Amino acid sequence: MMTPSEEDFELELRSLPGVLSVGVDHLDNGEVDAVTLFVRGQDPESVRHVALQVASLYYPTAAVTVEDANRAPSSRHAPDGRVALVRTDFNVHEGVSEVELSFAGRIGVGRSGSGALIGGAEATLSALREVGYEIPFFLVAVNSIATVRGWPVIVTLRSLSDEGDRIGIAQSNGDLESAARATLDALNRYLSTLELNDA
Amino acid sequence: MRVDERDVAEANGSLEHVYEPWLFLRMLDELAATDLGIGFVYSVLDVLAERYDLTDATIVLHDESLGTQAFRLGRRQVDPDTLEAVGGTPGVYAEPDVVPEVVRDAVRSVCQLSLSLHLARYSAAHDALTNISNRRTFDAALQTAAVQSSRYGWAFTLVIADLNELKSINDNSGHAAGDDVLRLFGFALRRSVRAGDTAARIGGDEFAVILANADGSEVESFLDRLRTTLVPSGIVISFSVGTATAPRESTDPAELYRIADARLYEKKGMIKR
Repeated sequence: MMTPSEEDFELELRSLPGVLSVGVDHLDNGEVDAVTLFVRGQDPESVRHVALQVASLYYPTAAVTVEDANRAPSSRHAPDGRVALVRTDFNVHEGVSEVELSFAGRIGVGRSGSGALIGGAEATLSALREVGYEIPFFLVAVNSIATVRGWPVIVTLRSLSDEGDRIGIAQSNGDLESAARATLDALNRYLSTLELNDA
Repeated sequence: MRVDERDVAEANGSLEHVYEPWLFLRMLDELAATDLGIGFVYSVLDVLAERYDLTDATIVLHDESLGTQAFRLGRRQVDPDTLEAVGGTPGVYAEPDVVPEVVRDAVRSVCQLSLSLHLARYSAAHDALTNISNRRTFDAALQTAAVQSSRYGWAFTLVIADLNELKSINDNSGHAAGDDVLRLFGFALRRSVRAGDTAARIGGDEFAVILANADGSEVESFLDRLRTTLVPSGIVISFSVGTATAPRESTDPAELYRIADARLYEKKGMIKR
């Protein structure tokens, strides 16, 4: 079990800009022997400099190594990737829906004040744009329909270039999450062949 | 799945058992024994590895202020290929891939909570710029030290330090340079205090240290350590200090602070009204 001091040590290292992961090696007596940071988007040497300072406060003899993860994704295309729905939140006081998506290490958060159903779809489109996608579609309809197995949500998107409508359907935990998943479902094939914009 | 389908599946013995109470009981045990924190994430990874005979496992989480964070079984460094393959998508990734989805979802949620609570607890007690204690923690520590001094006669010394030229640094070199000076001074304080002492940032350019079990004579050696720590940075930081010692001068926190503050401004050559 980690001591509170070790936990704070690791948290402090993880708080450094660009740090994605921290690996720790111990001596036989349980003392921290070496730490390895995995960083992305930052100069590894400057991160190492600060990490050494932090380590000197907790474990003065520990060695600090920084591994550079600044390598570009193997492809700008996303045929094998998948946009993941990370989180949905609905603020009942303000009526704001919030959707968080993740793709290839990027996080996009979209918000909408149009309630859970329409807001869920709008927030998802907004989050996709934040992740880096160009979405040439606009929202036509969001419907929740009664079936014997629950209340699936159907989202209809229309192409800005008259390529027809795209329809997605999903039933999940509540209207907001269903609307978000239905929106992703509608864009499923489109997203899989698309290139991301530079963030 | 409808009820009738479930009955049939159950009768055929083909119903997948996805609810695993052992996991939640183990997690509850862990919750009862520890504060929720990063250690909890590693404990859960250990439990998963034991239960499913995993050779490797990584939990990827996302926090608004920390960004993407990966935790690997055994506190090992994350495998870059794994992280690239999952694209930083939050989740639980196991080798072999035998952990049921419902378990992975539960683990991810509770670990996400654990990380957020650890960060919240840390942030509530520490100054964001310098990572030393903040005013709230300092006030509580001073109160505790004063009560113990009053009750048991334990001595401690309150040291207040004020940076003399922060405003001119901010004006001439920009606030980023001023922040660097504050960070450096905070780091030097952390290096200079002993275990059991408290170092805090209590205002913009004002810092305080509670030297435990110190009757005043330890102040000079503390200041020597502080200056020595600052030297290698190459940045000259001018600061003034004022001190007050309990129980000799008072055991009232406000009075101790007033005495130290008055001495500080006396040294700065200023008149405090």
